[in-house]
Amino acid sequence: MIEIRDIEKTYTKASVATRVLHGITISVQRGEYVAIMGSSGTGKSTLMNIIGCLDKPTKGQYVLDGVDVLKLDDDALSALRNKKFGFVFQQFFLLERTTALENVLLPLIYTDKYPTGAIQLADKFLANVGLEDRREYFANELSGGQQQRVAIARALINNPDVILADEPTGNLDSQSTAEILEIFNRLHKEGRTIIVVTHDQAVAEHAQRILELKDGQIKG
Amino acid sequence: MTRIVRIARESFRMARNNRLRAFIMILGIAVGVTSLTMIICVSQGVYKEVMDTVNRQGPDLLQVRPGSDKHTGLPSGSREVVSLIEEDVDAIRQHVGNIVAISPVKDRKEIEVKGGDNFTLTRVFGVAPMWDQIRDFGPHRGTFISEEDVSFAARVCLIGQTVKKNLFGEADPIGQTIQIKDVPFTVKGELVWKGISSAGRDRDDRIIIPITTYTKRLFRDVHLTQIVITVEDIDYLNKTVEDVSAVLRERHKLAPGEPDDFAMRTPQDLIDMAYGASRSLINLLTGIVGISLLVAGIVITNIMLASVSARKGEIGIRRALGARKNDILQQFMIECLFISLMGGVLGTILGYVGSIILSSMNVAASNVTPLAFVAAIITCSLIAVIFCIYPAKKAANQNPLDTLRA
Repeated sequence: MIEIRDIEKTYTKASVATRVLHGITISVQRGEYVAIMGSSGTGKSTLMNIIGCLDKPTKGQYVLDGVDVLKLDDDALSALRNKKFGFVFQQFFLLERTTALENVLLPLIYTDKYPTGAIQLADKFLANVGLEDRREYFANELSGGQQQRVAIARALINNPDVILADEPTGNLDSQSTAEILEIFNRLHKEGRTIIVVTHDQAVAEHAQRILELKDGQIKG
Repeated sequence: MTRIVRIARESFRMARNNRLRAFIMILGIAVGVTSLTMIICVSQGVYKEVMDTVNRQGPDLLQVRPGSDKHTGLPSGSREVVSLIEEDVDAIRQHVGNIVAISPVKDRKEIEVKGGDNFTLTRVFGVAPMWDQIRDFGPHRGTFISEEDVSFAARVCLIGQTVKKNLFGEADPIGQTIQIKDVPFTVKGELVWKGISSAGRDRDDRIIIPITTYTKRLFRDVHLTQIVITVEDIDYLNKTVEDVSAVLRERHKLAPGEPDDFAMRTPQDLIDMAYGASRSLINLLTGIVGISLLVAGIVITNIMLASVSARKGEIGIRRALGARKNDILQQFMIECLFISLMGGVLGTILGYVGSIILSSMNVAASNVTPLAFVAAIITCSLIAVIFCIYPAKKAANQNPLDTLRA
């Protein structure tokens, strides 16, 4: 489903080129639960952003469901992000002064086919992550773990092919971390494709397959 | 729900989430729109006042007065100047075309009149039979002065409503005898109501008598107060003015280059005169409108630019979740438009109140017109589009990755 071949990424800042990714090849099948591991500064977030169509590689190939992603324009990439991916970030990235419900509904604003009963759908996903009684709370009124669960509900509402999680438990205590990982396990059992980026061995171990990133290359 | 409706709902929600920002923008717009509304109300009011005056006098009315006082427009100053006589009227009638009716007018104010058991001071006019058509000032009851009345210098009169009230109260004056300067006159009619003139004079406080009776039986005046003319075709009014002027200059033996010893007033002069009074106010307001709308626009641009940098995170999240550049652009534009329109509504209300105050304080005539509201809406939309496009484009072109990291 995801075919990445010989991806390179070079950042140029003040005319100094820094190569972050040195030719990475990954293939992820539908329904897989994959962890990308590595210590900080190994380019795992960059790789994640490239997979999520938020960033473009300097070189290489990326085919998603048979579509050459690197040939798409900005609008098409936006549509792809909306339809194919559900993002879960380390900093949650919920809108402040916006209720949990409204946050979950956000991806539906930019979808091409607005579903009937959108609010019931959002309520269903909020209930899935155990937050049905927090639907009218503003995001900034929720704890970190609750915010991350809202983010997961938001990632799921558009029924995406892939959940992309970038250090999803990086800002959470062990209790919340366990809850989030439990949710991921459940989603995996339901047949969803999950890619988690983490530096935490304990988090990575929940995945079926671990890819270790070191110095911009996949180890082994 | 279509995409644009969903985006618009986000715009409203975000505007509501930051009330202070919205409030400052609304205020900025409202100040500009208030002046805009007031200028429109005042110009409409002045226009209406002018048109009322012109229509009351008749758009086909040409007045000739003695003296060269055209620019002051005041007849009283010319009272000492004696230049027009009845032969001038005959000459105009003979030599100038495009004339429906013409009448000489003589008048004197504060004439003693007795009638019933009462006494009053009023203005007495000597006129020709056509006068009632020219001034649209005919009898409400009874009949107007006839050719026979003029030929025989008959002692007949028509009295204005104020005179009627002063002399007879509610009683029927027709057929009664009144004394004008101790000369007995039979009342053959009462004039229609006219009310107060734009100069503040009671137009119902007058008595109309035949011009011949005026000169032969009351006063020995030779000179006319004015000549009133109704032209046939308004399009040729200027030509008629020139013709009348030429006839009078020849009769008065004025050498070329010598100034006229008479003045003509057309409806256009009335319009110019009435506008002159309000022009300075309208000019001042126009200046204020221009400046304040520009300031409002700059305020909007600034606040929106600050808002775009403060909302980098929000923009990044939306882009990551699938918002296209155009979606972000639309969201910011709609937000701006919405705030701008709120300012427009507030400004229109304030402007209406302001113009009502202006007219109640007699500073300027004003007319609360829906036109001002329409103009406000159009102006606000334009301001929103012109002054928000740059911040909105900036928002749309943010790299989603940069904004997420910020």
